[in-house]
Amino acid sequence: MAEKKSRSTPLQAQDKLTFLLSLVPFLMDHDRISVTEVAEHFGMSPEQIRDAVRLIGVSGIPGETAAYQHEDLFDISWDDFEDNDQIILTHRVAIDDSPRFSGREAAALIAGLQYLSALPEHADRAAIATLMTKLSRGASAAPSQLTVQSTDTDDTLALIRDSVEAGVQLEFDYLNSRGEHERRRVDPLRIESMDADWYLRAWCHLREAVRTFRLDRISHPQVTSEPITHRIDDVKLPDTLFEGSANDLIVTIDVVAAAAPLLADYVPEGASTVEHDGRLRTTVRVSHYHGLKRLIASMPGVAVVVAPPDARRAVEEWAAAGAARYK
Amino acid sequence: MSATNTAQRVPVEERLFSLVLALLATEAGLTKNEILSTVQGYRQRYSISGDNSNLERQFERDKDDIRELGVPLETLETPGQAGNNQSLRYRIPRGDYELPADISFSPEETTLLNLAAMVWREGSLSGESRRAILKLRSLGVASVDPVLGYAPRLRVRDAAFDPLSTALDKDVVVRFGYLKSGEQVSRTRTVAPIALIQHDGRWMLHGEDLDAGGTRNFLLRRIVTPVTTTNTKSPPVDKSAATSRALAELEQIWEERRATVEVEPDSDAATRLGKRRGTAHEGANSLTLHYSDLDLLADELAGYGPEVVVSAPPELRDAVRSRLARTAADHG
Repeated sequence: MAEKKSRSTPLQAQDKLTFLLSLVPFLMDHDRISVTEVAEHFGMSPEQIRDAVRLIGVSGIPGETAAYQHEDLFDISWDDFEDNDQIILTHRVAIDDSPRFSGREAAALIAGLQYLSALPEHADRAAIATLMTKLSRGASAAPSQLTVQSTDTDDTLALIRDSVEAGVQLEFDYLNSRGEHERRRVDPLRIESMDADWYLRAWCHLREAVRTFRLDRISHPQVTSEPITHRIDDVKLPDTLFEGSANDLIVTIDVVAAAAPLLADYVPEGASTVEHDGRLRTTVRVSHYHGLKRLIASMPGVAVVVAPPDARRAVEEWAAAGAARYK
Repeated sequence: MSATNTAQRVPVEERLFSLVLALLATEAGLTKNEILSTVQGYRQRYSISGDNSNLERQFERDKDDIRELGVPLETLETPGQAGNNQSLRYRIPRGDYELPADISFSPEETTLLNLAAMVWREGSLSGESRRAILKLRSLGVASVDPVLGYAPRLRVRDAAFDPLSTALDKDVVVRFGYLKSGEQVSRTRTVAPIALIQHDGRWMLHGEDLDAGGTRNFLLRRIVTPVTTTNTKSPPVDKSAATSRALAELEQIWEERRATVEVEPDSDAATRLGKRRGTAHEGANSLTLHYSDLDLLADELAGYGPEVVVSAPPELRDAVRSRLARTAADHG
């Protein structure tokens, strides 16, 4: 999860300042607390906590003499800190309380909440509205208008959510992008989403591997009473929704610069992109041409396959067959 | 070792932290000179007789940085000395800085806010979300359950999003080239931003078009030039009310626009279009779809190739047919 990943991420100066301003009031509320507990609570490494405490311990205000006298500085019990890894704030200055959110911070959380209100367990819109009001009131400036329309999700999501919660296997009909129908039995691990699209990450008993299923390709889901055999901690669940494999086909594409971000998921890391006749020439990675022809046909005049010839032909045949239906 | 060398070793966060502490502790405010000569991180580089212009510029940048974090840094004029920059006093009013005492979050609310922040883990607003969560944790409330079952995310891939959200925040007018659908050449628009709205998975700017007059929605993906931010303040408007109105209008348009399509049984089109929001099943293989933008729907339908045929409206039929013909020709 993202939270775990951030544990070792180095912080930028603005993040560090925010952390210092957040840590002081937290320590004020705890007479004595271990570095480990603080690290756990803030989702950071113990060393990041120790660095911050060391800095707080020597910081303060210029004071009446403008010379940072002892009483103008924070103080901690250094023995407890150095010997026992315990934090005890013994003197404090300037700060009494937690800082307000910035207008943008509040706006980001409010938009996030609007998006989440689509989830089945957050049907209590009133509770979400209360929370949004609190965020607005707790911000130092009016949150800017950032709005995400909450789309209603269907019963499939609620059903899958129940099976994830209960840790039981799930069965459903799945139509893959090749157009093949299969009854799948899976260990549901996590529900993910990207904007308006929802996905299920699951261990697939048929393929014996982790697979990503689009919710809108799932039909007739059925929750079983069979417990799952693979847990989220047993399998390596990659951070990215789509993963490349060694068997992927590499395709060269010309794309209008403004539309290039739409292909970002398919462009392998380190792929070269050059400008060519006012368009960008880049490579994408696909597992088969069935997905490619659909993708390219949905970007008419914007993206054109250059090579290999098989890929061009697959797209041409797909589009021509579509056009023929209008004759 | 010279004073400058020592000073460079005061880390940025220590200088910023000391600045916030000093400005929080002062009622009357501190002048720039007092700050530069006494506050940790500046004082080491301050020259009593010499030129402090580098240090002053540093202070200007630091002010912007801490304001960006939501710290309300205030400027006061000394009575009788209005207009004199050297006598301006700076301070952080405690009441505007501190989270109001009556605001608290329950463990359930904390859990929900953690999840809301996670939504932005990629891209533009990830820094804001991360910092908001640090402030939230400052209150000491632990979340009830890490909600491992979900990993929702919003993603912004439009280059225009960042400059537009900054302009929205600063409440200033922007200019950009906008390519209206069906037109070959983009036209420059001057817009006072009101809101950034994600509707049906697509980001749009709702704003007042200052040339044409009246409010408009601009799809971010049709903004084809870099966004220019001006220094002109946007005309005052109740943004919150305007945003609700815009959302309601978008929904109404979406509700009114309907397309009828025939799908191949058991195909990807039948499965996915059948599950699209608001789709009605008219017959075995006939669906009625709602849409906001004809061109975007035409792109989507073209992707299904021979699996779907548009029956109505005629302009959508033409749009899909010409798209497919174009793609076939481009690859022939």
